[in-house]
Amino acid sequence: MTSKRIGIESSLAVSEAVKLANVDVIAAYPITPQTHIVESLAEMVANGKLDAEYIPVESEHSAMSACLGSCAVGARTFTATASQGLILMHEVLLVAASLRLPIVMAVANRALSGPLNIWGDHSDAMITRDAGWIQIFIENGQQAFDQVLCAFRIAEHPDVLLPTIINIDGFHVSHVIEPVYILDQKSVDEFLPPYKHPRPLDPDDPITMGCFAAPNLYTEARRALDASVRASKTVILDTWKKYGDLTGRYYNPVEKYKADGAETILVTMGSYSENAMIAIDDLQDQGKKIGLVRLRLWRPFPYEEIQEALSSAKNVIVLDRAISLGGPAPVCSEIRAALYTLDKKPQVASVVGGLGGRDISPDNFKTLIDVAMGKLKAGETQEIIMFGVRE
Amino acid sequence: MIKDTSIEIRWHGRGGQGAVTSAELIALAAIHEGKFAQAFPSFGPERRGAPVLAFNRIDAENPIRIRSGVTKPDIVVVLDPGLVTLINVTDGLKPGGCLVVNSTRTVEDLQQEFSGDWKLAVVDAASIARELLGVNIVNTTMVGALLKASEAVKFDSLKAPLGERFGARAGANFEACMRAYNSTAISQITTTGTKKPKSFAVEKMPGWRELLVGCMVTEPGNTKRFGTGDWKSQHPVWDDKKCIKCGICSLVCPEGCIKPNNEGYYRANLFYCKGCGMCAHECWTQAIKMVEGT
Ligand code: SF4
Ligand code: SF4
Repeated sequence: MTSKRIGIESSLAVSEAVKLANVDVIAAYPITPQTHIVESLAEMVANGKLDAEYIPVESEHSAMSACLGSCAVGARTFTATASQGLILMHEVLLVAASLRLPIVMAVANRALSGPLNIWGDHSDAMITRDAGWIQIFIENGQQAFDQVLCAFRIAEHPDVLLPTIINIDGFHVSHVIEPVYILDQKSVDEFLPPYKHPRPLDPDDPITMGCFAAPNLYTEARRALDASVRASKTVILDTWKKYGDLTGRYYNPVEKYKADGAETILVTMGSYSENAMIAIDDLQDQGKKIGLVRLRLWRPFPYEEIQEALSSAKNVIVLDRAISLGGPAPVCSEIRAALYTLDKKPQVASVVGGLGGRDISPDNFKTLIDVAMGKLKAGETQEIIMFGVRE
Repeated sequence: MIKDTSIEIRWHGRGGQGAVTSAELIALAAIHEGKFAQAFPSFGPERRGAPVLAFNRIDAENPIRIRSGVTKPDIVVVLDPGLVTLINVTDGLKPGGCLVVNSTRTVEDLQQEFSGDWKLAVVDAASIARELLGVNIVNTTMVGALLKASEAVKFDSLKAPLGERFGARAGANFEACMRAYNSTAISQITTTGTKKPKSFAVEKMPGWRELLVGCMVTEPGNTKRFGTGDWKSQHPVWDDKKCIKCGICSLVCPEGCIKPNNEGYYRANLFYCKGCGMCAHECWTQAIKMVEGT
């Protein structure tokens, strides 16, 4: 394996990974903050650097529809979007999953309207939670590059055949130039076998995709889809192991940072995890028994790994970058559910913050932890803590 | 005559025949009497001509909470004569119950088809509807036949809902009800009937592990086996002397089942013809007539 270390904007690192994966079709509609990904891919195709079909479409709904078709004929297919674009795709997103079409999509996570806001948070990923797509979160440009390559291998694996989203925080990752190791073509070719759909659409060997299911079949169809999303974890683990062996960069559904033996554990997802690490370093230097756990795999949800990582802690503080209006914060609610069956359960504080691009600096994280610890000590864990909200 | 404080009715008809309207009229009449009642269709895509179900529950004393379809009916009403041989209309019919059928056959003749401990009521609703209403829509007529078999609601209670539903045509519909009531013939069926019970096809559905990836269907063209001809209660008949061979009928047929024969005259493939009548409606020269029966 050889790889080249270059300074590159994370969006362009995603495009490099897509090019190395030698995709056949890209269908996309530009939207902030995803624009640089699809612009650079369009340029590569136009300049002959990438031998693929680039389909400029009139909306995200059309983008995903075109992806359905191309993936169904057996073409390796990529798209990217964000926020309003993702929710405009929704109708077709669910169909992609139910047809088991392994489309790979980068989502440059951004807040949802309203009010209209172009900055980052996880609202778009959360509202897509139940669509049947595998969802993976990353924290920096290198991980974005790595996970896009892994996504093709996971999605297209004959035991998986599920569409996959790589969540890349808008601006905080997508627009940052940083050093990234770009793999050589030969290694990528060896790592990523060609995509073969078991029965692609073919006029000479016709099949039907997307047929109707009455009440006497729908339950079985949904059960089969759910089972396939759950079972995909085996291939995800195997792919990350192989990628680690190739590059030395190993990934896990749940990743710990100085969390062993910690009394209190902060749980984060996405790029703010790196800010949180700095805060954890400082707090541990001060003798505080606090560690960090990052959730990388959002769907299928890694229940066992979460239990393993959090069961011995006394306190857990979960940060959500999305709000479920009138309900529990989405990540925290899953974590509480995962811990519910344990005999000895940690106390869980739920924090919502970093909405619509609001920063949570390392110092902010220390404050956030203080506030949450106060509530945990007082046993007040029912209410969600809206971090940094002006009263 | 069935007398009970609670009655469950299942209506069998075809899309467009008005089984749902029949059920609605009965429920509205019962509610008008101060009883508890419900009416609802079997939920599904509406297709003119396809077999459909509608349900009634009436309870003189207690509110009705169940929202499932009726599987053990006290009364079954069949609006379309063709359905009696197509589907198991007496499925779950309670002993002591009643099957009410629209048919041109006599009760003596039709009872040979069944065995069981219930009554059979037969009325030629189609003739009554055509005479009094000018159309072969038997939903109100069959309500009259039902009331002969059961005191589900009082005749007079139908007046208000009929008026609301049919306006100026309420009188004729009420008359059709009355005529059906008076001409319905009833006979007791016995369990020692001469006919063997018919066997009806039961679809075997796959378990979730048996489904192919993404529920794909790998057998192309299997809709060829889907006989939409089952849906019809009328079929087209051609008068070749009037036909100018323009081919319009074959173009408008939603099933695409009309083709020219060797002499260039048009004919429908009755395996697919669902009896919609569009060909007859669009024919320039009125060469096509819709005729009762499949
Ligand atoms: S539409 Fe009438 S006239 Fe024309 S081909 Fe058909 S039957 Fe003949
Ligand atoms: S009635 Fe005529 S138009 Fe309708 S399905 Fe039959 S042949 Fe076709």
